[in-house]
Amino acid sequence: MGATDEAGLETASPGMNAGAPGQIESESEKKKSETPGMNAGAGGTSAGAGGVKAETKSDAPPMSNPYAKDAPAPTGEVFIAEGAKKRKKKPVEVAIRLTKVTKRFGVKTAVDGVSLKVRAGSVYGLIGPNGAGKTTTFSMMAGFLQPTEGVLEVLGYSPMQVDELRSRIGVLPQDALLPGADKVGEFLVHMARLQDIPSDACEEAARGVLAEVDGRDWWNVKCGSLSHGMAKRVQLAQALIGDPEVVLLDEPTAGLDPRVAYEVRQLIKSRKGRCTLIVSSHNLQELEEICDGAAILDRGRVVASGSMNELTASSEEIRIKLSPGPSPIPLVRDLPMVKRVEWDDERRELVVYFDRGQGVDAEQVIGAVLWVLLQNQARISAVSKGRGLEQRVMELTD
Amino acid sequence: MSPLSEVRFVAQRELRKSFRSAKGIVLLVLSLLGGTAVTLLLAWVQQLKREKLTNVTPEMMESAREDAMTQAFGDPATGKLLAHTPEVLLAVFFITIWLTPLLISLLGFDNVSGDMQHKSVRYWTLRTRRASYMVGKWLGLWTTVSAITLTMHAVIWVVCIARGEAPAGTAINWGLKLWIITLPISAVWCGISTLVSSIFKTPILSLLATFAVFFVLWVTFLIGLRFNVDALTYVYPNTYDGFLINARIDRTMIGLGACIGMTALYVGASSFLFTKRDL
Repeated sequence: MGATDEAGLETASPGMNAGAPGQIESESEKKKSETPGMNAGAGGTSAGAGGVKAETKSDAPPMSNPYAKDAPAPTGEVFIAEGAKKRKKKPVEVAIRLTKVTKRFGVKTAVDGVSLKVRAGSVYGLIGPNGAGKTTTFSMMAGFLQPTEGVLEVLGYSPMQVDELRSRIGVLPQDALLPGADKVGEFLVHMARLQDIPSDACEEAARGVLAEVDGRDWWNVKCGSLSHGMAKRVQLAQALIGDPEVVLLDEPTAGLDPRVAYEVRQLIKSRKGRCTLIVSSHNLQELEEICDGAAILDRGRVVASGSMNELTASSEEIRIKLSPGPSPIPLVRDLPMVKRVEWDDERRELVVYFDRGQGVDAEQVIGAVLWVLLQNQARISAVSKGRGLEQRVMELTD
Repeated sequence: MSPLSEVRFVAQRELRKSFRSAKGIVLLVLSLLGGTAVTLLLAWVQQLKREKLTNVTPEMMESAREDAMTQAFGDPATGKLLAHTPEVLLAVFFITIWLTPLLISLLGFDNVSGDMQHKSVRYWTLRTRRASYMVGKWLGLWTTVSAITLTMHAVIWVVCIARGEAPAGTAINWGLKLWIITLPISAVWCGISTLVSSIFKTPILSLLATFAVFFVLWVTFLIGLRFNVDALTYVYPNTYDGFLINARIDRTMIGLGACIGMTALYVGASSFLFTKRDL
């Protein structure tokens, strides 16, 4: 309870230590104790220099994933969103912080003591089945719902402090219809005005975001006449207007055809590094693709959270499917970097566990294992890192 | 951004929406047609009176009106003042006072509930203080209603002048005065409508509830009148027309103060509830 993982995500939900979620925690804790300096800082976010150096010797890209265990140690530099630079706002380290947040609707508890910290500049996913509390959590972050208990902060303010957060937060609500009688252009200009964008710059800002969602031609179209896909993109445009520092996207691709969904995903990806993005979605492949970290919710509680690598264990295991033919499992097991091997004869799936703390990364293990398999005439049909987010969610939720 | 700017932007959009919507246009046209019809009817009655009551001089007519007004408002000075008002304009004033609640209920029932039904309100609450949103909604509704009644009154002034019911100066002077007197009363009705609309997420429920609340206020007023309980009559906004039209400035100020107080109470209550609720 109340443990903080290395991704800086405090998971205070009761019962989260049971079963699989606990594995993540205990793995994290184990690594903290094994790596000198890793526990520095109350938030558990300041990885010690020693540990980091050992890891970054590999060819890990110098990416800015703030959840990655191999993220650079904080050097006092804080992410500054494009919008914050424009508005000359003081940079913040934590974009969103939930502390033991509970939301009850009558006798029903939708969110139960959720604690989360989302670092500025990251892309963070909220994952879970229907009724898990994703949209309720999301709605509290956006200030639509007020928590029954607990404290919630966005850029250091309560989400209800509209004047402080105006234009600094953009939200794509899941099921909020656009005002049907308004034309797209005037709706966006109106939103821009309310965001305190200078009146002579409102139209330019509105046209800019509309172009970004590929909707240049819709300026004079009434919102009520838009198709579902077009409306979704206009909703996305209003969320992005004014370059907000935090963007909350609830089911951004729900109900969209694959092409439009792909375009929306590309658009979200293009915002990476410009702001903090929180994405709530059922589409796990999508989240795995775009998120740096995520929290998995079930029945209103966080059952796991961390970087995408931690959640999918992609830096701790690899999976290899073999076609019928030789399966030289003992030889794989003998490899020095391999910690444990599991072989499912029925599915012909080989799971290789390794200890990334030994300066070994998944790519090296894949290379070594494939070499052994190929040398022994094994027929390889698929290779993947980790379990896949979908499988992880299936393990953790009912 | 100041709350005043937020209110201004919300109210501006509300006005634009009202006059562009089919509902707004239909209500405007109906108000104009109704106003014109009533004016023509009153003018015809006036003409009939002049033709039938040939032995009654204008002075006698004015004296009779003064007595009637004095009795109605319980104040000789007010009776004297209103005796000089063009009769058609005075009749239209009272019709406006009595029909404005209907106009407001039809225009305002989905003022807030319409935005809450499909959660469109969420686009606004991210960018405006909730209280500003609510005040903007009230202001937008009040301005719309005031613009419709002004247009209706203006048409009546024109008809009145064209038919020789009153000289242009008198018609416009009294017409404007009487229209301005309707404003504080319609402000209270708009406040009540906004409060009811902010409670319901379904517009049709909001419409029914608005009608119910207006009806209950009217019944309360009637009970107050029947049993001489003044306190009950004061909850009904139209009670204050007698105060506002009064020749005595203290009575006018009491009426104005009561209307402002009631409006603040209703708009304040709707803002408070809206700030506390989940959207």
